[in-house]
Amino acid sequence: MIGMREVAIVGAGITRFGVREASWRDLVQEAGKAVFDDVPNLDRKDIDSLFVGAAQPERWVFQTHVAPYVAELLGINVSRVISRTEVACASGQAAIRYAWLAVATGLSDIAMVVGVEKMNSKFMSVSQSSMINVGNREFDGVNGFTAPPFFAMVAQRHMHEFGTTSEQLAMIRVKNSYYGARNPYAQFQKEVTVEKVLGSRMVAPPLTLFDCSAITDGACALILASEERAREFTDTPVWILGGVQHVDSAHTTNQFGDLSHWVGLRKAANDLYSMLKISPEDIDMAEVHDCFTISEILEYEELGFCRKGEGGKFIEEGESYIGGKVAVNPGGGLLSNGHPLGATGVRQAWEMVMQFRGDVPKERYVDGAELGIAHNLSGMAQLHHIMAYSINKRKDLK
Amino acid sequence: MTSHTRRKLRLPDQIPLNPLLDLWDQQEPEGPDATRIYEFYRSLADGKLVTTKCMTCGRVHFPPLIVCPNCNGEDLEWVEIPEEGELYAFTELKLGAPIIVEDYAPFVIAVARFGDYPENGVQISGMMFDIGYEDLEIGERVRWEIMEIEGPGDKKRYWYCFTKV
Ligand SMILES: [Zn+2]
Repeated sequence: MIGMREVAIVGAGITRFGVREASWRDLVQEAGKAVFDDVPNLDRKDIDSLFVGAAQPERWVFQTHVAPYVAELLGINVSRVISRTEVACASGQAAIRYAWLAVATGLSDIAMVVGVEKMNSKFMSVSQSSMINVGNREFDGVNGFTAPPFFAMVAQRHMHEFGTTSEQLAMIRVKNSYYGARNPYAQFQKEVTVEKVLGSRMVAPPLTLFDCSAITDGACALILASEERAREFTDTPVWILGGVQHVDSAHTTNQFGDLSHWVGLRKAANDLYSMLKISPEDIDMAEVHDCFTISEILEYEELGFCRKGEGGKFIEEGESYIGGKVAVNPGGGLLSNGHPLGATGVRQAWEMVMQFRGDVPKERYVDGAELGIAHNLSGMAQLHHIMAYSINKRKDLK
Repeated sequence: MTSHTRRKLRLPDQIPLNPLLDLWDQQEPEGPDATRIYEFYRSLADGKLVTTKCMTCGRVHFPPLIVCPNCNGEDLEWVEIPEEGELYAFTELKLGAPIIVEDYAPFVIAVARFGDYPENGVQISGMMFDIGYEDLEIGERVRWEIMEIEGPGDKKRYWYCFTKV
């Protein structure tokens, strides 16, 4: 990290997430307009780099080479770095990571990030067929092994080994729905009860429909600037402290080992904590990848918010609500917002920006927060990505 | 403005299923669809589930490979996966099946361990038919069985599924 410049998010814009009556390019333009409206002092001619997080545009909208298309739709001439990132569900955070790296190293001064996915169509089973190739299509996908069955088995093993209950899973949805009900951009804005979650249709036991995030359309955009330029655009820059990724050589079931332990997340978290010289207790808020309720329970454990096996107890005791040990998913998480793959990681950063600006309803405002992390996972939870955001620069970190 | 009949482009009534939505490998020994692990598919046709083992470092792979990712060795041998294994985890896909197997839903999807996993065995996924989530328990014995995949057209391909012992 020696010699790297400090990098800030100076603008953020988002579309409404959901089953949108809008095309892929409509979504890109909506998010672009939102972020340009958010940074009135920015002349788009000053943007020198563009990073587009998009997981499967070639499957869902039959369009490839999407980064230059986004540049065209947003009227940006790129003179430094342009790229599209794909790591399935974490394509969005990957785009932020490369934008951060470009600005931190001096290759770029002002970079734009756009995360976008259009997943809904009349043909839902075709969408599911596109999800199945996130795993190993030839050896796992062929067995119908999409994400819901995989995470159902994670839940089954966690229940088997640690006594986690369906009620505890449901409590994750209840919490995230409470915050989602206060997020006007979320796909689902209704509060739910434990009974409602348990009583919803079974998708893949033990997971019900309300244990799962949705198939979603949406886009989100950010503007990143170097320390030298950041104050031109905002009084409340949100600093990117750093990011980590971890994957063990694994893409197929044979390499996953124990489903109830996410070793990669534990390693990534430890790397982040030692890089920033912080401990889990220092984190005020976390946007974590609750693609399924069980995911958030494992994330409490592997991020070190509680001991291994005690994630169920952690939600039961309310420790992940605002006012508890750490505010987890005050934006409503993937469970409320939906999960447009390429946009999700960018939406998590957008939430951090809104929180640090105090630009959210008070019921979901983490008052006084200084340090937040965003965890974005991909595939069958073998690849983990975490970034840290703060109102303080890295060099001012206490 | 001159008035004339608009040109029409007539598309086929039916467009064949995109091969990308067919989940099974083409299982061809030669030609552009050839796979160099064809022996795996040929063995399935013979009623055997096999995989590769590295003769240099001893690593058992799944999926079968042509180069060992552990030691870069190419001296790989085909070994049989034991017929019986242990149910590690399972669920039943009731909603959201991919299009090609939609007609078979709901079906059980399981992960089972065969042999001495991970040192000298494999952990693999498989479908289970004519059985429900409630009929199974973690730790039960299952066996792999070969099934035939018919179509599209006259093509016959092979795969495996699990059954309860
Ligand atoms: Zn080897």
